[in-house]
Amino acid sequence: MALAKEAYRELEEVVGKEYISDDPALLDCYRYPLSHTAIHIGPYYRVYTPRGAAVLLPGSAEEVQGIVKVCNKYKVKFKPSSTFWSAWGFPLEDDTIQLDMRRMDKILEIDDKNNYAVVEPHVIGATLQAEAMKVGLNTHIHGPGASCSCLASATALGGLGPDTLYMGHHNENLLGVEWVMPDGEILKIGSVGSGLGWFCCDGPGPSLKGLVRGMVGTNGAMGVFTKCAIKLYPWPGPATLPVEGKPPAYKAVLPDNLRAYTLGFPSWKAWADSCYMIFDSGIGYVAHRQFNMFGRDLKGAMVRILSDPTRTLSDIEELLKDPEVQKMTEDMKRDYQIVLAGMTPGDIEWQDKALDKILEETGGWKVKAMLEPDLFNWSLLYMIRLGHKNLNLVFGGGYDGCFGLGGTPDFGTSGEPARVEQVTAFKVEWEKKGNVVACGGDGMMGGIGGMGGGGHSLWENFTHFDPADKASTEGTFEFFNATAKYGAEKGLGPGMEKMNDYARWTDGYTTPKEIRDRILGSAAQPEAFRYQRKFKETFNPNDLGDGYYRTLDDPDE
Amino acid sequence: MALKDELAGIVGSECVSDDPEALDAYSKDLSFVKPVKPRLIIKPGSADEVQAIVRWANQTATPLVPVSSGPPRFRGDTVPSVPGAVIVDMSGMKKIMRIDRRNRVAMIEPGVTYTELQPELAKEGLRLTTPLLPRAGKSVVASLLEREPTLIPRQLWASLDPLRCNEIIWGDGNKLVTGDAGNWTSMEDAWERKQAPAGATGPGQADFYRFVSAAQGSMGIVTWASVKCEILPAPHKLFIVPARKPDDLFDFTYRLLKFRFADELLLINNSSLAYILGDGPGGIKALMKELPPWVVLVGIAGRSILPEERVAYQEKDIADIAGKSGLKLESAVPGARGDDVLKALLSTSREPYWKLGYKAGYQDILFITTLNRTPEYIKTVKSVAEASGYPTSDIGVYVQPLHQGANVHCEFILPFDRDDSKEATGMQQLLTKASEKLIEQGAFFSRPYGIWADMAYKRDAQTTTVLKKLKGIFDPNNVMNPGKLCF
Repeated sequence: MALAKEAYRELEEVVGKEYISDDPALLDCYRYPLSHTAIHIGPYYRVYTPRGAAVLLPGSAEEVQGIVKVCNKYKVKFKPSSTFWSAWGFPLEDDTIQLDMRRMDKILEIDDKNNYAVVEPHVIGATLQAEAMKVGLNTHIHGPGASCSCLASATALGGLGPDTLYMGHHNENLLGVEWVMPDGEILKIGSVGSGLGWFCCDGPGPSLKGLVRGMVGTNGAMGVFTKCAIKLYPWPGPATLPVEGKPPAYKAVLPDNLRAYTLGFPSWKAWADSCYMIFDSGIGYVAHRQFNMFGRDLKGAMVRILSDPTRTLSDIEELLKDPEVQKMTEDMKRDYQIVLAGMTPGDIEWQDKALDKILEETGGWKVKAMLEPDLFNWSLLYMIRLGHKNLNLVFGGGYDGCFGLGGTPDFGTSGEPARVEQVTAFKVEWEKKGNVVACGGDGMMGGIGGMGGGGHSLWENFTHFDPADKASTEGTFEFFNATAKYGAEKGLGPGMEKMNDYARWTDGYTTPKEIRDRILGSAAQPEAFRYQRKFKETFNPNDLGDGYYRTLDDPDE
Repeated sequence: MALKDELAGIVGSECVSDDPEALDAYSKDLSFVKPVKPRLIIKPGSADEVQAIVRWANQTATPLVPVSSGPPRFRGDTVPSVPGAVIVDMSGMKKIMRIDRRNRVAMIEPGVTYTELQPELAKEGLRLTTPLLPRAGKSVVASLLEREPTLIPRQLWASLDPLRCNEIIWGDGNKLVTGDAGNWTSMEDAWERKQAPAGATGPGQADFYRFVSAAQGSMGIVTWASVKCEILPAPHKLFIVPARKPDDLFDFTYRLLKFRFADELLLINNSSLAYILGDGPGGIKALMKELPPWVVLVGIAGRSILPEERVAYQEKDIADIAGKSGLKLESAVPGARGDDVLKALLSTSREPYWKLGYKAGYQDILFITTLNRTPEYIKTVKSVAEASGYPTSDIGVYVQPLHQGANVHCEFILPFDRDDSKEATGMQQLLTKASEKLIEQGAFFSRPYGIWADMAYKRDAQTTTVLKKLKGIFDPNNVMNPGKLCF
């Protein structure tokens, strides 16, 4: 059912003719292929997200409010998205109004004394970082990378990233929010609500920040966040990054107080010990198991290819036979990357000595090959900028994460054999079937931190496949079914591979109610989703969001 | 069945009291909040008992006022606003349930005080960062739930740090565990798998624990919480950076915050420091005159990895930074030695409570702002005090950077003689006038006790509306401390 003419006209009055369209060709451009990188539901071969009723590009919070009021009047669902990272940003039902937030792209303020920025939805990490660096500050760049929206990460989605150890989870960094609620009312949370500025997100009294998000946000299913303030962090480097090289081999020669290392360890126990020592010592600016996303067996070769513009993927077989690459790969088997940033010469010297002490006590090492100047400068820029997210897709055009092993460093690395090795062995068997890239089973990538100051290490086992190939896509889907079952049996916690199947089902539409209720009802605390249902009934009375908001609709039991 | 018998059926008769003296003690505190006598006091011993009490309160429409800390109390939040209330005294739930050195978390019940927790943590090589000299009977959980500021801003990634997971009995009688622990069916099983309740967010897409923060017991009752600890420092030094005006200290403080240098970091004036260090009214008065007008207190701690070296380079670098602002990093100033100040900061308050050492009463005014705006608020409070005939030299000021410097807790401490009705009336008027001016000026009363609630909520109608709706979800019968905040 198309949008009623009257509703379209009223929406057009809100944003103006040039910022609304229901052209079918354009609407198809706002659909997303669920065989691609759908995070974390499938993949589903040749399935697309439903077609919207219209796409609007609002230019202000007032326009967003106008749109939401029209949607309430005509009971039309709406879905906002800023940088459209994955299926989350796309409708679950036909005839949903899609809000493309790209016109709201301003950095409204950078307070370089009190270290925060106020941003609109389409400000991306790279832009904010570049502006912040001009005044000696930096911003947390979340996992989806520097080209994704800071606001979406801080309010509506995840918020983790390689620098979380030092620069916090975006949940922690959120200092204020302007929110067009699903009923069309505008709520400003924290000090900004009292007209006092953007410096505090909690109060007066109980903090309504808790309604905006938890570990994750509401995925565009509970209104539209139109501005937010996020905390910034010190940048002890140049005002602009001196980037050089040809893509993807970008690198930056930075002052000596910025150092990037790849650390290797003789055992998983030593690996975990080092994480705890890093948390306790307080060293580190960025800490992430990053290059392992290419796989335990392939990462050495991939690092060589990606840091050398003369090489291509077709060189991988040759590189895998190179004894030096083999040595590097072996050195990096149980690894992570760390960037140290010294605020003074004394600071960087102490941090480096502390790191050496940690390595001495754990038997770990700085991987020598990664200390070569080109690789050092390449990995330093890579970790600081996180501008290489296209490389997630480098092998086959599609990837998704599975397992998770979220929690303390000990959780993923303990067990007999270590849980990380258990899931590696499991994946290796599936890689032999030929549907996913054979990378050595261990594609575990994730933060050494998980929250400001550390405490968690969070991994997802990267699984690369070819979304254009039916067998590969369906084989990956089967693999994820198997990992979900395996993870449940082994008590590994909720697997990332099926993290969103409570919301979107194999046809691309909302998951059937009985399945959704079963999934959410089997959570450790279904009560949380019953409360979320009450939040929805109270603040979204016409149910104009979508199934990405986790509500358990069973009776209160 | 009589009310007392009904409650005795839940907690046992020895844990229900209608002793007139005890009821009288709970009917008032040292604030200007109007006294209201409660009906009974009950002392639950477990989460199940708390849940049964809340369910009973819903059935009988009985107001409940949760209290975890011992007296004296100062802000009116534990004084019933309505008659017929039952005080739920949580001080008997005192278990330190677990201390996990490797993950640096402790699980504690709400009756555990700082005095009780710190020695147990020290045995494991840990400690918990504290507010400024909490009183001996202060509940750790209550302090953190009320978002009391703590002393080490570089460790504050979030405004509720170091509070992490919580078990909450909501006003509707339902139980929910928040944070990491909310994703596990059993804590025992989680420990077995080497998990630890270290993460505060969730479960689901809400941060439920934020709804009980600064709620003055109006949303629910926390029956255990996990807290993130720090490594027990050694060595640990404290330096003092003196100045004539607070503004002179800002560049230096901002630089330390930006670099995340220093551990304890707070600005304080001579009066406040004298209240902390001075001995009796005479000693305090003399010390006020001796101390520099303003100081930054800078703690530097070594922990686990190369501790001596860390303290050495930070001492040198911080001294350099001070020098660039025309300041000096001192180990002692007239009237105060760094070692003595450190000892005080690492302890709970001596008796009487440090804000009561000068006069038998005090009123504080506290809010959130940014460091650069504090001078205008100091000017305002001084001007209102002057107009009220209050001695401005007695005004204690304490500025605590929070959230790694994104904002600060700004607190004015105004001692007065409670037994002198003229002084008390004058103070009440000063409090109202100063608060009104401050809020107009931009002070954010994020924890709106007493008269601040109306002032704060009048400025933010939409937040008030949403909070009331939220309260309706978690406490539909309004049994949890009714009459507080905007409820």
